[in-house]
Amino acid sequence: MSRGAEIPKIQAPRDLKWIGRSTRRVEDPKYLRGLGRYVADLEFPGMLHAAIVRSPHPHARILGIDAEAARQIPGVVAVVTGAEAAELVDPLPDSGPAPDRHVFRVLALDKVRYVGEGVALVIAESRYIAEDARDYVDVDYEPLDPIVDPIAAGQDTSNLVHDALGSNVAYDRTFTFGDVERHFAEADIVVRDRLHWRRGAAMPLDNGGAVGIYDPATGELTIHANSISMTWFAFALAATLRIPSNKFDVISYASGGSFGARFCNWRVLVTAGLASKLTGRPVKYSEDRLDHITNGDQHASDRYYDVELALTRDGIFRSLKTDVIDDYGAYCHLGVGTHGNAMAQVTGAYRIESTVYRVRAVLTNKTQQGAYRGFGAEVANWAIERLVDKAARQLDIDPAEIRRKNFIQPEQFPYHIPTGNMYDSGDYERVLDHALELFGYDHWRAEQARMRADGRRVGIGLVSCQERSVYSATEFWFWYDDPAVQTTSTPEGVKLTADALGNLTVTLHSTPFWGNSSDTMAAMLVAEEFDVDPATVGIEYHGTKGGLPAAGPGGSRLTVMYAGAIRGAATKIKDKARRIAAQQFEADPEDVEWVDGGFQVRGTPDVRKEFGEIAMAAHLFATELPEGLQSGLEASHVYDHPYTTMPSKDRTDLGVFYPCMGHACHIAMVEVDVETGGVKVLRYAAVHDAGTMVNPRSLEGQIIGGTAQGIATALLEELVYDDQGQLLSSSFTDFLMPTAMEVPELDIGHEETPSPITEYGIKGGGEAGRMMAPGAMSAAIDDALVDYGIHVAELPATPERIVRWIGEAGGGAGSAPR
Amino acid sequence: MKPAAFEYHRVGTTAEAVAVLDQLGEDGRVLAGGQSLVPLMNFRLAQPEHLVDINGVGELGYVRHDDGMLALGATARQAHVAAAEPARSDVPLLVEALGFVAHPPIRHRGTVVGSIAHADPAAELPSVAVACHASLTLTSRAGSRDVAAEDFFLGPFETLLAPGELVTEVRFPPSAPGAGWAFVEFARRHGDFAIAGAAVTLALDGDRVADASIVLCAVGPRPLRADRAEALLLGQAPDAELIAEAAERAVADLAPGADIHGGTEYRIGVARVQVRRAITLALERANGGDRR
Amino acid sequence: MTASASNAQTLPITVTVNGRAYELALEPRKLLADVLRQDLGLTGLNIGCAHGVCGSCTILLDGETVRSCTLFGVQADGAEITTIEGVAPSFEELHPVQEAFWAQQGLQCGYCTPGMVLRTIELLRENPDPTREQAREAIASNLCRCTGYQFIVDAVIDAAARLRSAAQQEEPDESRS
Repeated sequence: MSRGAEIPKIQAPRDLKWIGRSTRRVEDPKYLRGLGRYVADLEFPGMLHAAIVRSPHPHARILGIDAEAARQIPGVVAVVTGAEAAELVDPLPDSGPAPDRHVFRVLALDKVRYVGEGVALVIAESRYIAEDARDYVDVDYEPLDPIVDPIAAGQDTSNLVHDALGSNVAYDRTFTFGDVERHFAEADIVVRDRLHWRRGAAMPLDNGGAVGIYDPATGELTIHANSISMTWFAFALAATLRIPSNKFDVISYASGGSFGARFCNWRVLVTAGLASKLTGRPVKYSEDRLDHITNGDQHASDRYYDVELALTRDGIFRSLKTDVIDDYGAYCHLGVGTHGNAMAQVTGAYRIESTVYRVRAVLTNKTQQGAYRGFGAEVANWAIERLVDKAARQLDIDPAEIRRKNFIQPEQFPYHIPTGNMYDSGDYERVLDHALELFGYDHWRAEQARMRADGRRVGIGLVSCQERSVYSATEFWFWYDDPAVQTTSTPEGVKLTADALGNLTVTLHSTPFWGNSSDTMAAMLVAEEFDVDPATVGIEYHGTKGGLPAAGPGGSRLTVMYAGAIRGAATKIKDKARRIAAQQFEADPEDVEWVDGGFQVRGTPDVRKEFGEIAMAAHLFATELPEGLQSGLEASHVYDHPYTTMPSKDRTDLGVFYPCMGHACHIAMVEVDVETGGVKVLRYAAVHDAGTMVNPRSLEGQIIGGTAQGIATALLEELVYDDQGQLLSSSFTDFLMPTAMEVPELDIGHEETPSPITEYGIKGGGEAGRMMAPGAMSAAIDDALVDYGIHVAELPATPERIVRWIGEAGGGAGSAPR
Repeated sequence: MKPAAFEYHRVGTTAEAVAVLDQLGEDGRVLAGGQSLVPLMNFRLAQPEHLVDINGVGELGYVRHDDGMLALGATARQAHVAAAEPARSDVPLLVEALGFVAHPPIRHRGTVVGSIAHADPAAELPSVAVACHASLTLTSRAGSRDVAAEDFFLGPFETLLAPGELVTEVRFPPSAPGAGWAFVEFARRHGDFAIAGAAVTLALDGDRVADASIVLCAVGPRPLRADRAEALLLGQAPDAELIAEAAERAVADLAPGADIHGGTEYRIGVARVQVRRAITLALERANGGDRR
Repeated sequence: MTASASNAQTLPITVTVNGRAYELALEPRKLLADVLRQDLGLTGLNIGCAHGVCGSCTILLDGETVRSCTLFGVQADGAEITTIEGVAPSFEELHPVQEAFWAQQGLQCGYCTPGMVLRTIELLRENPDPTREQAREAIASNLCRCTGYQFIVDAVIDAAARLRSAAQQEEPDESRS
């Protein structure tokens, strides 16, 4: 579909063979046997190992580095200081507001800006020796005052994270969409909230890793890495490493989880690449847990919100104001893209006529942010749902009913929200009703009353949230009035090959597997086109060199984009095969139809050739091919973003940039121990609409996993800095990822409103669970503590905080039930 | 996260172990289960020059009755102890507390004695040892000495153990017939160290408390005996009010350090609740509820 | 600090891994996880945290699950080890626990899977018919960041049924007599 064209009516999926069936994943046997390979498993002859010397200071000038003693240790091949690295490689790719004034380097140059920032690199025969030598690198620091509190940092012009920037505020802009002031003036009620979403992280169990292999003979550099989205950006990485882009190859490896953490993790690849370029030997840089937590560029949103919702006394929403300060840490290499994700669905599932959004990106002496499932939109979901719950309580309306009153209605799709983004389709009330039924809302409300009468603090909370999916490139630059480049491509390319027997192989570009079922999705989509078993489809990954354009996963786009690309490639192959079959049938290609894995002449099913027979002809019998056809049966197809429109010049309309809109309703029931602040989830139900489902069981797996992460965001996980800028949660004993005992059993339901703009009507669903659970948990805790008037405005709601809130509400231990 | 180099000494007998430890003096460090030590070494927060691995000392792997006591050798694994009949019947408080020590794969390696000797104030087993009036045998080349667990712990990771000495055994007196017990703790995550915990044993004479032992875990530099709370209960028939008062007394002088999971005040509050719940549960059991 | 490769002490050990005996000469500080991964090429186990929390490095040591990141290779002298590579009976067949994980989609990225499978094998040996709650508690020793655990619990329950049914088929007469 051309970009900006008229939106077609929803087409229900055709009669499908594989799409919609919960099939076993094709990836699994090798992982079940322990034979799946992660990048940390790779060995190459002569391979060296790198370790990074990390700063113990949050903010300090580097006066000098003496690495001589380290270089003398047997087994050490090289030590590279930050200054030496700056001679070897250029700054890392940076989409921040002023890359020349907050320069992002693989190793710190003159000054360290967070605890854990690399100041030197040791390359040795083993990681053990590299770590030994690290202890002998003597760095002379002049400590500076740490910049920790983002609110204070934003005001400070004397103590700066980046002196060249002249401020600690890297970005400050207000976007106004519609007549906000009028709608607020007309409102009967304005509900206000001040919210704090604390710093977490995606924290996959596998760390980032790369093996750089420089070939001095050809000048080529190959990097094996568990990073994603590399084809698209490889040229930028090549530039950093000063390698011609066509002599540079990034080969994707499976990652043990990502959830965003493998998105643009440049540091890992550049570390391995520069180390190999310097030594001429393969070099592995595998982050260990401490490297990843402190220096992995992968902390997540750390936001302070002031939000206001204007509404009528009947509970009808009119307008929304958002003013957010985001503590990005010491750099912001992804710019403020996490707020673009927020603005894609900032008004939620509701008819809200106008909105204003101010974002201030503040730099502090902390590890910088990266991506984490939701990419900042999950925080905005929490913010609006917190407001809606506050409004419901203020107006004494049931939380389900106030949402129902304000939902965008099914007939209103495609629906443009005030920011300009479009929601393609949906039926939110159906999802809500399904969720209420699945949860047993009325029954459990009655039970809750009974439990409360027994003195138990039990609460039920509900949210109705969006999951935007399939982003387009405009969101990278609509922040700026005069962006350097106004890219509009977010493509995904695949190559599909049928061999002489008709067996199919799909070549994916730039996409490693990290648990996202990428192979299964591709195999099922191919299987659907060719009527074969997904288990028979070959899958291979192409490196970036000579690869097709492919933006890779991110923003829940992969299945949608694969569907388009595979459909396109399959159509090309089938068209060619049809012409060959027609020649053999001596029929018009128009009269040859695909039926159940072969071709036959319309109306005469006994005149038939199996696909394998045609493939044999295509490969081995050139003289029998129709005129103009070459041997072989393969096709590449690049699928571009299905629907993008350009932002307006004045940015009062951001255009359509995230149109495939999923939706979900989550309902949680919790019990709070008011004496310890402990929260136990008693019951949890979630109904999702991600359009047409490809593999329902896999989608459910993503939803449950995402919900577990969202519950952890709500209760457990936090990267804590003290007021001196020291990171206090740099191990798994302090960054509390949940075990099976902290995660409840979930009841999952589905609705399917197909997307009108994608193949088969698929929408993305990979991030969804995490985008709803924090709001549902917050609402449930509020409800459990309704007697104290608690409104959760800060996450995670740790036990200590809950006890403090109760105390502040005048409900100290003295008033607790004994 | 790779450990620094060290010299490794594998020993096969107690005599060999203490001979090597004697020779190494301050530089020698005992490797038992390693579940606390090795992570510290991987972080390079611990860099011992010499490790004396006692895992091969088969003669210290026992769990047995000995002179009316439950005796555990230095290499008796936590999982083994928790499953062993002598422990289950004699010292149910220990078995209950072992359920809170991390997870089965850790307990498969970790030893009861090692956890006590490590003296992490947040760990469960030192508190249990104190609550049960356990005693330890410290063996050196010169011979053995017995110390009460009560006296053994000096501060965080600090004990009476002298260079060259090995804790070879811990002995628990069996729970008095009819006595109640409880180990209760609150942790943010299953298997983690507690914000606060309490180990309690209660013996009744009729409905009166004849003997009470109350020890707090994770809220001080070492296991803390709540003797004022014990004194309050003695001779009384505790009701909810008295138990609450005992819990209040138990935390009256606490000054636990703060960390990211809990500040001082919060930990005191959680400790108060744990003591109350532990006394209540122990009393229930002493009154005939939940007998093993 | 005594840090260098050249003067490092090495110790000989013999160890049986997945039924095969090995003689190795090891630097004492080398973690068992690294010995298995690097010296024996058994990369199925993973080092997720290297401080004993995540359980990705789980193996069976003399039949019991342990974290191989908190053991030194030299400590495995004389031991019998099973890693995930030693679980399936053949190239054609998976172990019933592996089958159950596949059928239930009890894995996503696969990183924690070796540890989860080994923990499940151990649990079902001790308790052939666990409740969901017991299954949850058993696997709580190991972190999974992908699944939210529910399908792993499904897999444990499914595996238990498969193993019980296999056991019944093996001894039909005994069970009747």
